[in-house]
Amino acid sequence: MRKSKVFIGSSNPELGRLVCDRLGVEPAPCTLTKFSNGETSVSIGVSVRDEDTYVIQSGSSIVNDNIMELLILVSALRGGSAKRITAILPYFPYSKQSKMKKHRGAIVAKMVSNLMVMAGVDHVITVDLHSSQMQGFFHVPVDNLYSAPLLARWIRHNVEDWQNAVVVSKNPGGTKRVTGLADMLKIDFAMINTDKRRKPYRPSRPTYSRSSSMAPQEDNSAFAITESEFITARIVQGRVVEEDYSEETGNDSGQMSESIISIMSATEHALGGTVDAEVNSSDDEEYPIEAVKEPADIERIGREAAIKSNPTDKTITLVGNVRDRTAIIVDDILDRPDSFINAAEHCRFFGGAKHVVIVATHGVLSADSLNSLENEPCIDRVVVTNTFPIDASKRTKSKKLVVIDMSSLLAECIRRNHYGESIASLFDKAFLE
Amino acid sequence: MAANSIKLLAGNSHPELANLVSEKLGIPLCKVKVSRYANMETAVTIGESVRDEDVFILQTGSDSVNDHLMELLIMINACKTASARRITCVIPSFPYARQDKKDKSRAPITAKLMANMLQTAGCNHVITMDLHASQIQGFFDVPVDNLYAEPSVIRYIKENIDYSNAVIVSPDAGGAKRAAALADRLDLNFALIHKERPRPNEISRMVLVGDVRNKICILVDDMADTCGTLAKAAETLTQHNAESVIALVTHGILSGNAIERINSSKLTKVVCTNTVPLGDKMKVCPKLAIIDISATLAEAIRRLHNGESVSYLFTHAP
Repeated sequence: MRKSKVFIGSSNPELGRLVCDRLGVEPAPCTLTKFSNGETSVSIGVSVRDEDTYVIQSGSSIVNDNIMELLILVSALRGGSAKRITAILPYFPYSKQSKMKKHRGAIVAKMVSNLMVMAGVDHVITVDLHSSQMQGFFHVPVDNLYSAPLLARWIRHNVEDWQNAVVVSKNPGGTKRVTGLADMLKIDFAMINTDKRRKPYRPSRPTYSRSSSMAPQEDNSAFAITESEFITARIVQGRVVEEDYSEETGNDSGQMSESIISIMSATEHALGGTVDAEVNSSDDEEYPIEAVKEPADIERIGREAAIKSNPTDKTITLVGNVRDRTAIIVDDILDRPDSFINAAEHCRFFGGAKHVVIVATHGVLSADSLNSLENEPCIDRVVVTNTFPIDASKRTKSKKLVVIDMSSLLAECIRRNHYGESIASLFDKAFLE
Repeated sequence: MAANSIKLLAGNSHPELANLVSEKLGIPLCKVKVSRYANMETAVTIGESVRDEDVFILQTGSDSVNDHLMELLIMINACKTASARRITCVIPSFPYARQDKKDKSRAPITAKLMANMLQTAGCNHVITMDLHASQIQGFFDVPVDNLYAEPSVIRYIKENIDYSNAVIVSPDAGGAKRAAALADRLDLNFALIHKERPRPNEISRMVLVGDVRNKICILVDDMADTCGTLAKAAETLTQHNAESVIALVTHGILSGNAIERINSSKLTKVVCTNTVPLGDKMKVCPKLAIIDISATLAEAIRRLHNGESVSYLFTHAP
């Protein structure tokens, strides 16, 4: 590529390298350092005057530093009279905060796009935006590439009996994404909804017949589930258990009669106006809202938030049929593992799934998420792409983790952008297979 | 400094709603004359002073969208040049909201263009209802209050439908979240219909996920335009032995031959809010019913003017 330079930010150097290799170019020299006071400093080691420049920067565990680095790098390129600056964000940081939470939330993704345009970005390339509407946040063109064809190819080659597999959305908001993949693979889909604890009075609830009254909750053979398209269970302290599970209060009969009463008075419940609006927005996992004082705090807050976001008692509903099939739980971002684990347990124990595979584009896997997934017996495989960097140490420790390389897609998009060719065919699955 | 007051202006798109809001607020509509030149250009005359006033302009997207849009832009600009202190657009049904993403190569993001146009004209604040995608809030650099019809819809269900034996159904995958939220509030189950993309030499089929046997199905969506999806969904639900099918939509645009579709479909009832004028469609379609949301709009205007929190309206219908 003549008159072009590719710069690699410090967030995901490995992916940057792969993209440069595919393009057959050397990464342009630049030094990315930090002053002792924590300020980021960038110096570009080559002339960029009148060049077509590309900056590859993803998110990572130090996302704010990554963003500052990108902004400074872009504005340095602008100052160095680059002809065009294209920011490549395989994972778009803050993309989960792309809409106003009901009460006075900031639309951070919009702010980040404003910052980037202000710094001098002329064009943005990204992969699987959390919401495609985010393209409208920018005043410059955005190319949102799709990983679905690559994920579909992986499923076809690696999931046995994939024709009978079912793709599962772990929350209603992701159903659209899931149906897209289901259509591409021409297989069925199902959906999981987790909501606040309901009283188990609904007639369509499947009935569980127990072989012994004290059967362990997670013993698959203990339940015979009647055929129904709704399968509900409870989440108690982060674990999926059967509907009439009672906590160790030592008062089983009391609990029972209480639930009978609740059947009688079910209609009175429904909706008083006391439901907090925040409860409704549980679809996207909330980020911890707490002051971060020290880096060591982050992990602790993450843990507490995981507990907070998982109030001890919830109802989980599977809509669809996964019995004796492989359940492929799909989402765009795999960060905290709790909802994935709950979905997997529910598919396996109550839905009767044969295997459970988790597929996500962005493997953020913060804190020890990967470890939790690794230790979860219900999950057979965890598939992510390399848009988000995963520590080599973490990666080698995990036996379930599969990382799909996205560099071919990104490199081809850069090449076509540089030569002014259409990228429409990159959305075409035929191109990738 | 003289206390400023609410000036409520209304475009021609939905006079009934304007009158309802003005009644609820107890504030008469400001005199505005909208006329057309012979070459069809729109001309606006504001009949009273708006200097230093808190101006609210109500205009919704309905038929002849583009004319109403121009009217709105000209009214905003007229108020701006007439030194209004703040100009708030009340747009119950946001036009072009469906063109909110580049879903195909080279597709325009017209909703973003709309946002830019409104801001360029001089709009300082936007009140709208049930945006097709809430990310549209981020298209604006000014605050956008996205109100929800949900509390009014819930009230309607509780007062008019025997919902103990009902199931909430989303007619497409994109609306699953909306349906799940409503099902959650009503403590009901929900189901989903997915239209498989047509493949060569194959008829696209509708897939129902969930159990609707002998149940009242409440189809929920944010808008009903040509009603093709709703009619097909009702057909699918009936095939799966649903007892009856009621559709609840926020924006009843009902363009084209929507009315004939509804009349000949398996839908027992179609309930929309009055964000979009229905005109005489009520007369020709006995299945239509209306939920009045003017109180929510009026309350939002009042709260905004007085600097009170609007978030109460997200969960409660006034």
